[in-house]
Amino acid sequence: MAELWEVLSEHLPEFSSGLWVTIRLVAFSFVIAMVVGTLVAALRVAPLGPLNWIGGVFVETFRNTPLLVLLFVSFAGLRRAGVPIDPWVAGTASLGLYTAAYVAEALRSGVFAVGRGQIEASLSLGLDYPRTLRYVVLPQAFRTVIPHLGSLTIAMIKNSAIIGVSLLALPDLLHQARLVNSRTFATNESFFWAAAGYLLLTGLATLAVRRLEARYAIRR
Amino acid sequence: MGYLFDPSNWEWLTSGNNLRFLLEGFLVNVEIAAIAIVFSLACGLVLALARLSKLRPLGVAAGVWVDVWRNLPLIFIILYLALALPEPWKDAYESVVPSFFPEALQSGRVFAGILGLVLYNSAVIAEIMRAGILSLDRGQGEAAASLGLSYPQQLRYVILPQGLRRMVPATVSQLITLNKDTTLVSIIAIEEVMRHGRTLSSGFTAFVGGVPAPLLQVFVFIGLLFVITNLALSRLSRRLEIRERERTAGTAGPVSGLEDQVALATEAR
Repeated sequence: MAELWEVLSEHLPEFSSGLWVTIRLVAFSFVIAMVVGTLVAALRVAPLGPLNWIGGVFVETFRNTPLLVLLFVSFAGLRRAGVPIDPWVAGTASLGLYTAAYVAEALRSGVFAVGRGQIEASLSLGLDYPRTLRYVVLPQAFRTVIPHLGSLTIAMIKNSAIIGVSLLALPDLLHQARLVNSRTFATNESFFWAAAGYLLLTGLATLAVRRLEARYAIRR
Repeated sequence: MGYLFDPSNWEWLTSGNNLRFLLEGFLVNVEIAAIAIVFSLACGLVLALARLSKLRPLGVAAGVWVDVWRNLPLIFIILYLALALPEPWKDAYESVVPSFFPEALQSGRVFAGILGLVLYNSAVIAEIMRAGILSLDRGQGEAAASLGLSYPQQLRYVILPQGLRRMVPATVSQLITLNKDTTLVSIIAIEEVMRHGRTLSSGFTAFVGGVPAPLLQVFVFIGLLFVITNLALSRLSRRLEIRERERTAGTAGPVSGLEDQVALATEAR
């Protein structure tokens, strides 16, 4: 028990810098996932066949490929091919696009929950299709799928650990815990603190989602 | 783009036994996934029932267990187990694993990988199953009880068949995630498709006089293998879903199939 606190107090800088890297990774990926996910969802519900198809290919590709493969392709693969990609770009883009595919699917189901009648009403009021999406459909779709987006965010926090393992230039929480472990041989202690960090992040995210849900969510 | 589709960069696929080497690695992933799926479903059901148990302490204990394992990164669990699993456990695994299993599955290390996959996925699946059971009308269980069925009989004949059937799509999408997550065991040095891909693209083939295998193309190909398998799985699940909806006359709502469907299902209760 004493050793548990000793490991934390002696290696606090490592753990806190790892936690900070994890938070930044998740934050950047979150922005990418939401923006790209919304665009792809718009493609998937667009009234044009080819656009649907492009959105579908995006979703099926990124949702069914392991994140580790995406990271290999986007970093080592591109580097080997002569593209000097930054590890931050490769890491957040991989995690962001991977999650974007799920976000797009969630939003699509939210859009379908809005109902045809509203879309038709908005179109007959003279709004064009992008405006209908922007002002009528998406605001409601987002609110319908808040719980869904929340669990995707939590999944993203967990998946960010994969980035730290495969891209050594990004020393996230898990990476730092492994470093501390290799220096102190206190496996249980160093992994305990990393677990505490991850549970803290996922716990906070869960609470935040519950708050948002209570305030904005639409029950259907 | 030109680089990606340049035929000379794809020559490795047909030369020597490169393709076979990759597919052999992929087979190890499929086998790990199969083992993990069987145990995750079984343990998930046990955990879900424990969590719903009328015995309060058991329910609370199962709840804490599930919430801890499903909120930790899987890669974290696997790495930790690989480091911290007692040697006797690994030896015990090595002595019970059937000899017809491939070589990559014989080592004790793979036990850490499979155990990690099962711990994580059984917790997630337990939540899915619990949500499925809770989504049933209370009356179902009460009616069964008033007909004189004991609690195990109620579960067996009334509650589980309906509750679990509703959650088939969500469970399948979690199993697809599990299938993708088998690549994570490459981190603990198990010779599966990621490791084989790295060996292929290490420049070794060119060194022994073969065609160089560029890393980008090798891993795009590996990604493709997963996309094909997972698409097949999700097609199968969609067909099941449609068949179910026809049989149960549209009572089951459409489920788009995402990890942690649970949140939606439990909150909307």
